[in-house]
Amino acid sequence: MRQCSTVYVKNTWGKPVTKEQLLSKKPLLILEKIKENLEKLNEKMEVIIELQKHDRKETQILPDASLDVMTLLSMPDHLRKTAMTICRCGRATAEEISQQTNRARAVESAYLNQLVIMGYLKKERKGRKAYFYADRDSQG
Amino acid sequence: MNKIIAVHSYKGGTGKTLISVNLAATLAKHGKKVCLFDLDFRAPSLFAILKVENTECWLNDYLNGVCDINEVLLDLTNKISGSGKFFVGLANPSTEAIRDMSAKDRKWEMRALGRLLSLRETLLNSKEFDYLVFDTSPGLQYSSINAIVTADFVVVATTGDRSDVNGTRRMLRELYNLFEKKTGLVINKVLESTSKSKKDEMDQKIQSVYQVPMLGLVPCFCEVLRAEGNLIFAQDKPNHPFTRIMDDMARRIENNDIF
Repeated sequence: MRQCSTVYVKNTWGKPVTKEQLLSKKPLLILEKIKENLEKLNEKMEVIIELQKHDRKETQILPDASLDVMTLLSMPDHLRKTAMTICRCGRATAEEISQQTNRARAVESAYLNQLVIMGYLKKERKGRKAYFYADRDSQG
Repeated sequence: MNKIIAVHSYKGGTGKTLISVNLAATLAKHGKKVCLFDLDFRAPSLFAILKVENTECWLNDYLNGVCDINEVLLDLTNKISGSGKFFVGLANPSTEAIRDMSAKDRKWEMRALGRLLSLRETLLNSKEFDYLVFDTSPGLQYSSINAIVTADFVVVATTGDRSDVNGTRRMLRELYNLFEKKTGLVINKVLESTSKSKKDEMDQKIQSVYQVPMLGLVPCFCEVLRAEGNLIFAQDKPNHPFTRIMDDMARRIENNDIF
């Protein structure tokens, strides 16, 4: 049987985690980190899936993007609904937006991330929650 | 339920300001706490109609982020009979202010939208206003679309003019529908007879042309023209047919009949 220093996983800073560390140092915390990373990965996958569903051209990244009403008017319907809701809420999670739009959380998460990629929204993580908002104050 | 109402039209001269002022005054007469806002920054007119000489802060200043909304609001309840409250937020009519407002960029307009949206919290929720009424610029302009996006309900003023009918239909399809806004149509300056059968026939025709609910049909009253903007008809002429039409429109909004 192999002893001690087998590397099982890497932690969030890329350093190997040994069996001793796993057993002695808060394994639950490590599992939480793995789950968090999987959630991030899942969000990215959802964006890729949504981009494939809709025309890729609509995801052009604009250098000077602002979420003004003319931009809202020119958006495809599915994104406009999400963008309008975030405008009304100010700052919200995908879960909160999905409650207003009556669409699935994963779908809203994908649209919100797409709007982030396009430069219209900002995303901020607080603990395990990701908040989305239109950054009105820092521009212009 | 408290609401934000935007009064908008495709073309100018359809009677937006007349409808806005009288609708807001009627809602206040009915006991509601109302604030009327002049969002027609290119041609401000409420200050003249309501005979306000000067104010410390204009709505322009609030949207520019240099003052609080409470500094903009003027209490004109004394102009209205009944138990309601009547406030206004005026647009600055100076040429310099008009020039300044028409030169704003997209990012300013985005922040202005944020400030308009926040009125829901500051006025409807915290100050317990029942209705905010936005008088807007005609057509597709930033200030009017900001108002439409903020509103719960859009009163669309139009006339029988061919270009107005076509433009209004296009806006219903390509503006209000895209923003999923509830709309009520007001046909102003109607020349046809006001007999019941003619009105029903006209209602059907309008319904088939626009396919949205009708909020009101306003005949062309010479008395309204003769008043030259010096009267708030709903207040100063309580028995005039125009006032009764406004009463009916306000009741339908209050009772959620149109929504």
